[in-house]
Amino acid sequence: MYIDPGSGSYLVQVIIAAVLGFLFYFKNLWFRIRTFFKKKKVDSEHDSSQD
Amino acid sequence: MTAVKTEFQPHPASYRDPSGFVFRYDGQWYRQVNASYEPHYRQLMHSGLYAELTRQELLLPYREIEENITGHPYWFKTLLPEQLSLIAYPEEWSPAQLKKAALCTLAISRMAITHGMILKDATPRNIQFVRGKAMLIDSLSFETYDPSLPWVAYRQFCECFLYPLYLQHYQGEGTHRTIIAWPDGIEAAAVAKALPFRSRRNLGVWLHVLLPARVKKSGRSSSAAASGFDKNKMIHLLANLESIIRDLPTDASGAAGWSQYYEKTILSQAYLQEKEKLFRQYLEKIAFSSALDLGANDGYFSWILAEKQASVVAVDSAWQCIDNLVNQLAARKGKNILPLCVDLANPTPATGFMNAERLPFTSRFRSSLVTALALVHHLSLGRNIPLSLVADFFSRLTADNLIIEFVPQSDPKARELLAGRTITGYDKESFESCFGRHYIIETQSSIPGTDRILYLMKKRSA
Repeated sequence: MYIDPGSGSYLVQVIIAAVLGFLFYFKNLWFRIRTFFKKKKVDSEHDSSQD
Repeated sequence: MTAVKTEFQPHPASYRDPSGFVFRYDGQWYRQVNASYEPHYRQLMHSGLYAELTRQELLLPYREIEENITGHPYWFKTLLPEQLSLIAYPEEWSPAQLKKAALCTLAISRMAITHGMILKDATPRNIQFVRGKAMLIDSLSFETYDPSLPWVAYRQFCECFLYPLYLQHYQGEGTHRTIIAWPDGIEAAAVAKALPFRSRRNLGVWLHVLLPARVKKSGRSSSAAASGFDKNKMIHLLANLESIIRDLPTDASGAAGWSQYYEKTILSQAYLQEKEKLFRQYLEKIAFSSALDLGANDGYFSWILAEKQASVVAVDSAWQCIDNLVNQLAARKGKNILPLCVDLANPTPATGFMNAERLPFTSRFRSSLVTALALVHHLSLGRNIPLSLVADFFSRLTADNLIIEFVPQSDPKARELLAGRTITGYDKESFESCFGRHYIIETQSSIPGTDRILYLMKKRSA
């Protein structure tokens, strides 16, 4: 198969990438905050969460 | 060379891509790579991408031939790919198969990017199931990756893979009907209208369906905003598509689940065991290299056929059955069964330009052995197809033998289909006379505990 170059919806992908980047940023931030507080709270317990 | 050279025949669907084309020559399928594609082809081979893709069985392997078979001046290379005995179309896949093909396409895209390349097209038509695995068959689908540009095949991927799967998730009618109606992919605007309101709770639907539909409607130029893309964004986009498709439930495990469906379609376990015993006896009497299991249901008898080392095509009109068989194959590592979703009263037609790009079902699946268990009553009583036409149809698909079960009008399942009617010309004598025109009846046995008869027939030589 072959499609004409330029028929990809570039604008759509630029917007989607921006939304995904935004979500990714906040997800990371959220994990960092959570890990920070969890470590403070339970120093002796094993942390089984992400990161 | 002393022999007279036969003419090469270009594949009727291989005319779109200026990078090369597929042709038949001397009984084999070849692919020509044109000179214009040379830099991309070299990168595919020298970057390690080809080796990696074939190692992971994501790309159909091929051999390079240093002979210009077509004689074209713009020839660069001839490829001889591994030859496939069967070609099935996405119009014949169940949702589970479309999902596997989509994930295969995304895995290839991700791997290509790490080798500085990208897929320039993303259509299920470039995927075939080989030894039970989804594989890309179009080796000219790659091009050098420019990180500043978004994915050229994004829209095609959505229209051909993601949208039929979304429709399946929300409506559950199977993906094959969507693809028959929209052979080159369904547009975002049509999908947006068809999806129920509850789909608006899904972020993926907003991003990949509603947004493209809105952008298209607003008529904004898409290439104007091409700047501002990079490799990281591309990886996020592909990962997002992959997680959406991987996590999207598309099977029949809801309230109208599989087990209920299966229970409704068979008479009893005792009947199944008696039939299996006879079936196995019949198989001992014949030899076959390929088998076509028509009305395969969940593939119970396809597995028995597969034990004989034959390549088996299992066909059923219910996508739930085919989905179930696809999942069984993945779990049991079955490699020689190809399950397909085909309505035998309306099999896949010849489609595409000049009706020649895609061949009809009837000319692709002729097999050494055809089996039709508990099927004839569905066609004759359920769909009003006369026995003579059913016999004619089956004989076109059979090369050597037929194992067929006759279900008389007195059978409880036949009575359900008849709903009080009586059909003339549907009895044992008519059945034997109609099939006798095409076949010699070798053996017949009543299935104990039922009025059903299992036949082993041999195709009459034409």
